[in-house]
Amino acid sequence: MRTVADAIVVEGLVKRYGDRAVVDGLDLVVREGEVLAFLGRNGAGKTTTAEILEGYRTRDAGTVSVLGEDPAHAGSAWRSRLGIVLQESQPLGALTVRETLRLYAAYFPRPRPVDEVIGLVGLAAQAGQRAGRLSGGQRRRLDVGIALIGRPDLVFLDEPTTGFDPDARRQFWDVIHGLRELGTTVFLTTHYMDEAQVLADRVAVLRDGRVAALGTPAELQALRGDVEIRFELPAGVGAADLPALSAAPDLAGGVVRVETSAPTRDLALLCGWAEGRGLELANLTVERPTLEDVFLAIAGDHAEAAS
Amino acid sequence: MRMLAEQVRADLIAFGRRPETLFFTVFLPVIFLVLFEAIFGDIEVSAGSDYALTQSTLQVPAFMAMGIVSACFVSLAITMVNRRETGLFKRVRGTPAPAWLLIAGQGVTSLLIGTTMVVVMLLVGRIAYGVEVSIDRVPWLVLSVLIGAAVFSCLGMALASITPSSEAGPPLANLLVLPLYFVSGVFVPVASLPDWLSSAASVFPIAPFVKIITWPYDPAEPDIPWTSVLLLVAWGVLGLIVAARFFRWLPRRG
Repeated sequence: MRTVADAIVVEGLVKRYGDRAVVDGLDLVVREGEVLAFLGRNGAGKTTTAEILEGYRTRDAGTVSVLGEDPAHAGSAWRSRLGIVLQESQPLGALTVRETLRLYAAYFPRPRPVDEVIGLVGLAAQAGQRAGRLSGGQRRRLDVGIALIGRPDLVFLDEPTTGFDPDARRQFWDVIHGLRELGTTVFLTTHYMDEAQVLADRVAVLRDGRVAALGTPAELQALRGDVEIRFELPAGVGAADLPALSAAPDLAGGVVRVETSAPTRDLALLCGWAEGRGLELANLTVERPTLEDVFLAIAGDHAEAAS
Repeated sequence: MRMLAEQVRADLIAFGRRPETLFFTVFLPVIFLVLFEAIFGDIEVSAGSDYALTQSTLQVPAFMAMGIVSACFVSLAITMVNRRETGLFKRVRGTPAPAWLLIAGQGVTSLLIGTTMVVVMLLVGRIAYGVEVSIDRVPWLVLSVLIGAAVFSCLGMALASITPSSEAGPPLANLLVLPLYFVSGVFVPVASLPDWLSSAASVFPIAPFVKIITWPYDPAEPDIPWTSVLLLVAWGVLGLIVAARFFRWLPRRG
């Protein structure tokens, strides 16, 4: 379903390196004004896809529309509506924060005032400091400042917080929250589930070059809505002795796992059964799957992603 | 125009704040001029037919040539490679800034740095060593500087295009120019070189450049060295072709 208010529309995107398809039939719609987290393991095709959308790479098949234009043929008017934070890119280390932003402001037709951007990314105290002497987190915020200077409608952030300490990540997240208030569409590439959960309106999980799951964090969590009941199998009891539950239990290393959509009923059964036999269920836990679990299930394991 | 001015301003600030580039590009040729004047200044060489020029006079334009090569070829190539490999060019290509801006910005920056060195050496030569350029040939001096800056910038762009990594930049650039400084009349007068060496060197771009920039300082030489001008411009064109063919905006990896 394509509407005028879609910032990005991708259909059947394919990118091959040699005979290996890194992106393999990817479909995706990013709505105007939303923060979309684009998740996947290393090698799942995240950066390749982002760089096709940004106009850096050509594609082998499929149609792509970013802000209504094909990035492969778009010109400088189109670029003036984008803000791009690359995965690896250093500003000129010898220039100060203010000088750097002033230079990039000159590239755009209607730039934001430099001091406004410095405020947006929280670098007021470092405005006169050279970029080469900023901390990693501060430099990344300068990167975002550079991306914001041209009043972009759409911002690409490619793994912006990799290697950050928790404080720096939280500060960075505040900056992204600020972006949403400006009404900017954000395409956020990340492999941190918690980051997606905090920042994103919707999450797309990439696997083997395709979108394997797409939805709000809550919707994704509901994909594996089953609650997991876990406990240690008491001594002298076999798996066959357990009561009949709504799902078959999984026994590994003396630990029983049951993924159930009827946790109350199954718990009552289990507890009644244990109580009747005078058993104590050691380490009994009942947990909803986290988004991290969902991601792990959808994105596939490392060995698969690397192959 | 405003965009170019901002780019050149930023490039100059960035250049001026890096002590190592400032030293090797700007101070070294001037220091060399002063040292060479102190050591070899009194030696007489016969450059033209009638006049006996001192080495003192010849060294001023020779080190001016070194200054231009240093700013427009060595420093330009190293800077371009660095900016490409650190992803700076890639990022700027993601903005509406036109592609020519980065090339023009670096070209103008190098021209300004090179010209400043030429002016400094002109004044040092004049004030400290009494070396004078004939007034009617000053326009030719200006023209030589502009031609040299343009040609060596093209060659610098060409070198940057074929340099694989940041690490390879400085050694590659210096490997190319250092031997040529010795055999092209910068460190050692051409007259004191064996014939085979000077004629071998004369086909490379530094020798003809030294020759045309020396002409305003050598009143004994009546004719403008047009052959050298043509040879130099041919090198510039070659540089431009190589640069256009192999130029990359993106770093090697990614």
